[in-house]
Amino acid sequence: MMRFPIWMRAGARVGGGRAALRALSLAVCAAGVAIAAQGAVVPLKAALAQVLLDRAFAQSVADGRPVRPWPWADMEPVARISVARLGVSDVVLSSGSGQAMAFGPTMLPPTTGGRADSGAVTVLAAHRDTHFTFVKDLRVGDEIVEEHVDGRVQRYRVVAFQTVRWDRFAVPGDPALPMLALATCYPFDSTAPGPLRRVAWAERVGSG
Amino acid sequence: MSTLPVTRQRLAVGAIALLAIVLSCLMTSGLLASSQEDASDPSAGGALMLRGTGKGVVATMPAVRLGTDMDVTVSGQVARVRVTQAFRNTSDKWMEATYLYPLPDDGAVDSLKMVVGQRIFIGRIKRREEARAIYEKARAEGRKAGLVESDRPNLFRNNVANVGPGETVLIAIEYQAPVRQLGGEYALRLPLVVGPRYVPPHTLASTAVAPSVAATTVAAEAGDMPSEAPLDLAAVADAEAVTAPLAAPALADVLNPVSITVHLAPGFVPANVISPYHRVNVVETGPIERTITLAAGEEPANRDFELRWRSAGADPTVGLFHQEFDGQRYVMASIVPPAAARIGKPQPREMVFVIDNSGSMGGESMDAAKQSLLHALTTLRPEDSFNVIRFDDTMTKLFEHSMPASADQIDLAKRFTEGLEAAGGTEMLPALKAALVDDAAQTKGNVRQIVFLTDGSLSNEREMMAEIAANGRRSRVFMIGIGSAPNTFLMRRMAEAGRGTYTNIGSGGEVNAKMTALLERLKTPAVRDLAVTVEGGSFDFTPRVLPDLYAGEPLMLLGKGPALSGKLTVSGTIGDKAWSRTVDLAKASDSPAVARLWANRRIADVEAQRWGGQMEDAAADSAIADLGLAYGLVTTQTSLVAEDETPSRPVGATLTREELPLLLPAGWDFDALFGNNVAAARPDALAAADQSRPVELPKTGTGFMATLLQGLATLGVGALGFVAAGRRRNGKAAA
Repeated sequence: MMRFPIWMRAGARVGGGRAALRALSLAVCAAGVAIAAQGAVVPLKAALAQVLLDRAFAQSVADGRPVRPWPWADMEPVARISVARLGVSDVVLSSGSGQAMAFGPTMLPPTTGGRADSGAVTVLAAHRDTHFTFVKDLRVGDEIVEEHVDGRVQRYRVVAFQTVRWDRFAVPGDPALPMLALATCYPFDSTAPGPLRRVAWAERVGSG
Repeated sequence: MSTLPVTRQRLAVGAIALLAIVLSCLMTSGLLASSQEDASDPSAGGALMLRGTGKGVVATMPAVRLGTDMDVTVSGQVARVRVTQAFRNTSDKWMEATYLYPLPDDGAVDSLKMVVGQRIFIGRIKRREEARAIYEKARAEGRKAGLVESDRPNLFRNNVANVGPGETVLIAIEYQAPVRQLGGEYALRLPLVVGPRYVPPHTLASTAVAPSVAATTVAAEAGDMPSEAPLDLAAVADAEAVTAPLAAPALADVLNPVSITVHLAPGFVPANVISPYHRVNVVETGPIERTITLAAGEEPANRDFELRWRSAGADPTVGLFHQEFDGQRYVMASIVPPAAARIGKPQPREMVFVIDNSGSMGGESMDAAKQSLLHALTTLRPEDSFNVIRFDDTMTKLFEHSMPASADQIDLAKRFTEGLEAAGGTEMLPALKAALVDDAAQTKGNVRQIVFLTDGSLSNEREMMAEIAANGRRSRVFMIGIGSAPNTFLMRRMAEAGRGTYTNIGSGGEVNAKMTALLERLKTPAVRDLAVTVEGGSFDFTPRVLPDLYAGEPLMLLGKGPALSGKLTVSGTIGDKAWSRTVDLAKASDSPAVARLWANRRIADVEAQRWGGQMEDAAADSAIADLGLAYGLVTTQTSLVAEDETPSRPVGATLTREELPLLLPAGWDFDALFGNNVAAARPDALAAADQSRPVELPKTGTGFMATLLQGLATLGVGALGFVAAGRRRNGKAAA
């Protein structure tokens, strides 16, 4: 017998139960697509935002002041970090909110202790499954370059890793060298939220 | 259409099932997420090493320089040691200095002298709080003062206050310790440095309960501390007390030099006098006397000093000494069990090897530990069973249960061992618990031996002893102290609690000799069920719980009684044969050290009762304090304090406090240890008081993969629904 695509057979005489099952299946499929899309949009948004941010960052450096990546954005690019060995380059955003983190790594604001007045310690946070996936692959000795919107370029070297609860983290008040901390969720391959964070510590090795 | 009702029914069932699957799919992921959030992850301590030693690394020379001289006199089986520490103030400020240093864990400190110029101040023994108050009062009034405190039987801290600009103050302490005898060889060990200790985070939380209870309750949260638990201030103070700042490797050659002189008079002609870790000069100063000095004059205090010797003649089998002290008679007897008499074929054994691969083992220690374990694995026989457990702040059991020692399994264990790398903190308790799980408790005639390979660089010793006391049962615990400065207190007491024995392996070159000797001792049947009787006298003996005796290892017995007479008989069984040895107490020779050694050994008994839960904390503390005061010994409850009566610091001049940095023990890998820690200088709870600032880390996982997969799964279920509906129709068309 001839086989037709299922939708062409829709008019065929079927039992009421079958119709219900079909309708239900359709609803489930739709829900599945919606959920999947919700998931899929995250990395897309993360990647797309970086393209726009890259542009905004270049503009910011040129203008010597932060430029918003899109008119309605509530944050602005402040720096770009790159790790040559891993081919990573991400534009860092000013606000430490979860909103901004969808688009790129964020610098924790000084009010929460993210950056001391002296600039001694900078804490950057990003999602483990988008921009900070690479933290997993960082090694002691890796060089991280931080370019600021004001044109300063600073180089850091990874010196240590730390696994810590989100509420048990502290930064040194007066370290010998300025430090950079990259924080993300841990364990890396888990998809469920958890209390642990992985922090990569880097020490300033030079500027320019 | 007779099938219709059935079909309909099936469809209904299918629809309900479909719905149920979708719902459960959505719900479980949500539930999982929340449960995971609550779960405390044991790796929370994580890659951070040595959380407790947050005192950091010192890269500049301290203002107060320290030089140490040790003068040792060995007479018979007792060593009397005078340790003189010179605190030289090189700054133009008035200084207070504090220095953490190790002594043998069976050493009894009984004397303190503070020397300032031509004047000598003699220390007095006081209860700890009282001594501290005296010291602090003198410090505040500008008077010179010295204080000796102890926080572990092998960890002491000297404090000296009001050292003027350019001035030098000497602090001299004296202690005595028994000489260890093993297989005809005598050994004197002088620890010179305290390895940085790992402070397990859970011990700092105020939920960490008194050790007597700890055995049962700590089990659940070993390895992690509840997130909101307030800090236990006493525990934090304790952790502070057993840790010190570390000197950067660049300072290693110029900091804390030590000179050592040993006057050796063992009572027989010494032969084969060797110092395995330092180059020494040996000079014959008499027919049965030798003087040993460091060849280099001074050495950095970064590894333990050990001196070994043998008797040129036949091995003396009994050493018997006595002393009259305060109207009481004290006796010390060291009784050597008979040479190993093989009794048939050795019994099959279950051996559990526990190897420490924490960060403190980095460098030579890890290599020595691995070599030792590989060596031990080759000596297993097919009838034995075995397991290997490794731990840092996590742990892995090679096998779920002990496996027969077949060639394949041993190969597997070797590969496992070779792959170990040193990193992370030292959470020994979970590994100990795992090792003590006895699957074959019912198997008769089977011997169960647990062999630990570790440097013991941790601060929660009490939890280990408590665990062994509570769950040791028929398992015997053997300790192999690895590295240049292992925690011998932990080694000895864990072995004692576990009725085993201990040894130290200082370097890779010693592995074969030491492991062969230890494994040989493990293989030969021990003397068990020891009993001591004195005919015609009553003696209060210590240790109270007599150990099992391993081949070549003597029983060191200390007793106190009203009169010295009669015969002392030690009896026991080897295999299933009875054994006994009798000595005549009247033949004891005089030694001025016996009474204090008795008291010190008795203190160890009290500690053991405390761990075993037979004694409350307060009662144990007060018993220790009484012993300390009666015999003039520094204990955890009593301190020695010396003070000048006249102020020397001018009114208005401020006093600067400095904690002197320690060298890292030789062979430790500074980078493996501190690569991690220098950066995060004090990221832990201890840092609370310091200038470090807490930062809350945001939630940093989108979990989009889960969402995506969930969506796809839902889509898949929907598609299945369609297929099911389609197939129904096909089936019907065909019919």
